[in-house]
Amino acid sequence: MTMPVTIIMIEDDEGHARLIERNIRRSGVNNEIKPFTNGTDAVKYLLGADGSGLDHKGHALLILLDLNLPDMTGIDILKMVKQNSYLKSAPVVILTTTDDSQEIKRCYELGCNVYITKPVNYESFANAIRQLGLFFSVIQVPPAA
Amino acid sequence: MAPEVRRRRTLGQVLLLSAGFLVLVVVSTASVLLVNKARSDSAWVVHTVEAENQINAVLLEVRRAESAARAYLLTQEQEFLNDHELAVAAIRPVLDKLNTLVADNPTQIGNLAQLRSVIETRLSQFDREKLLVARGDLAAAIALVRDAGSTTSSKTMRETAEAMRLEEERLLALRTANADASQQLAAIVTITGSALVVVLAIISVLLVRRSTRARDDAEAQLRESNLNLETTVDERTADLREANEEIQRFAYIVSHDLRSPLVNIMGFTSELEELRNDIFRRIASLARAVSAAPPPAEGAEPELEGADKQLSEDFSEALGFIKSSIAKMDRLISAILNLTREGRREFVPVRIDTRELIEQIVSTLAHQADEAHTTIRVEPLPAIVSDRLALEQIFSNLIDNAIKYMKPGVPGDIRIRARTKLGFAIFEVADNGRGIDPRDHQRIFDLFRRAGTQDRPGQGIGLAHVRALVRRLGGTMSVASELDQGSTFTITLPINWNVSNRNSDR
Repeated sequence: MTMPVTIIMIEDDEGHARLIERNIRRSGVNNEIKPFTNGTDAVKYLLGADGSGLDHKGHALLILLDLNLPDMTGIDILKMVKQNSYLKSAPVVILTTTDDSQEIKRCYELGCNVYITKPVNYESFANAIRQLGLFFSVIQVPPAA
Repeated sequence: MAPEVRRRRTLGQVLLLSAGFLVLVVVSTASVLLVNKARSDSAWVVHTVEAENQINAVLLEVRRAESAARAYLLTQEQEFLNDHELAVAAIRPVLDKLNTLVADNPTQIGNLAQLRSVIETRLSQFDREKLLVARGDLAAAIALVRDAGSTTSSKTMRETAEAMRLEEERLLALRTANADASQQLAAIVTITGSALVVVLAIISVLLVRRSTRARDDAEAQLRESNLNLETTVDERTADLREANEEIQRFAYIVSHDLRSPLVNIMGFTSELEELRNDIFRRIASLARAVSAAPPPAEGAEPELEGADKQLSEDFSEALGFIKSSIAKMDRLISAILNLTREGRREFVPVRIDTRELIEQIVSTLAHQADEAHTTIRVEPLPAIVSDRLALEQIFSNLIDNAIKYMKPGVPGDIRIRARTKLGFAIFEVADNGRGIDPRDHQRIFDLFRRAGTQDRPGQGIGLAHVRALVRRLGGTMSVASELDQGSTFTITLPINWNVSNRNSDR
């Protein structure tokens, strides 16, 4: 990796956030993880002070996104990211409890890169996150243009 | 209109008609009687007049006979004698007739008898006069005539006749008055009756008009209700559908949101399990260090002893219960999610050969059936228009259940048959399995509820799901069963299901 990739984790459930972080660390990924527990703060951070996303020009971002947020749906954030000229190249991983096929289809249509359903079975959950960590360690994340 | 008022009105009309009819009968009878009375009264009047006439006729004939006799006495001409004879001959029949006419009146009978005797006396005088004339004794005849004139006989005759006439006059006056009275009565009765009938008719007409108006109002109302009914039904259906969708959404959201904390519980329980291993490993090594036992071989797990071992086992047991409960809860939530998802699936009506469909299900279940020593017989089944996936789920659930709950040690026998009736196909899945206690017949269709010996895996979802599907397909289902007597599940589905009757059902 030429640039350290920042992982933006948008997850309202702190327990989930903790479990995700632990399992990512366990898979050996040591990148910075910026957690957000609501959509508004996350959007504010992503778009920056001027609301254009220019702040992240030249940074490599990877977004972990939950669909069920208290103030907005993850779909809105996904749309916003994919329509922003600075952010659209950042990979978006949807990590949510929703396993509705319609929802999954919609997310992929909107440009999400990976869709993962959180299984209640912890083995599967941990496994999925670790594989995601593996994925993080091999993918090339382009810096925001 | 209230039924009470309607009944009273009908009763009123019947009463009115009866009253009208009664009045007509009374008036007719009275008229007939009165007319008859008037006729007889008139007859009596005529009778009286006739009697009076006869009295006059008697007197006239007597006078004629007298004057003819006198003329004969003067002229001795045969012509007058003939005239006299004629008059005398006429007297007796007239008297007889008068007799029959006055036979009803004792006064007149007395009078008549007197009159008759006087006339007879006169007639005998005539005979003597004629005899004297014939003998040429004119002087004696004249003397006889004079004598007759001077005697009281002709006076008596006149007076008697007068009395009779007066009597008849009196009767005439009486009878005329009678006849007038009865005619007047007849007229009054007729007029009163007619007036009554007219009044009743008017009331009847008014009543009929009122009920006609009421009926017209009711008809208008009915038309309006009919128009409204469809709108109302549509509105209610829309409301119900909305309510149903809301429940579905609610169930979906609830089950979905329940899952989120479950991920945490399960996740951190697993983390605790990891920690437990670390903690007890450390305890074991510390305990070993304290007891100065030789360190275990490199890589080997330190062994726990005594109370520590017990503690570790309790810890594991608690975690085990938590994890198995979470797993169960997860299964239940998944089941609800699947049900709500199924409830939101759009059904597509297609023509289905149900026998082919069920044979297919049977072939996929053949392995399980073999293991349970069960034979499945599929009788000829009708083709219906319905949703294929729903039918597959319905019948595979029922057949699967039948195989699952066989009586141990008894070879199973499952029969699937159907008949059609009034646009519905009635399917029966009958088995000879362990049966269901009648007390549990309702319970088995409830979500997460099961009945009987719990020796088979299951969530208590199958039949609830089947019933929901059957209902969505516009059908009904029921069970007939006794413990140890096998079960028969009956499913009634419309032969031609379409989207519109799904809408009304949802």
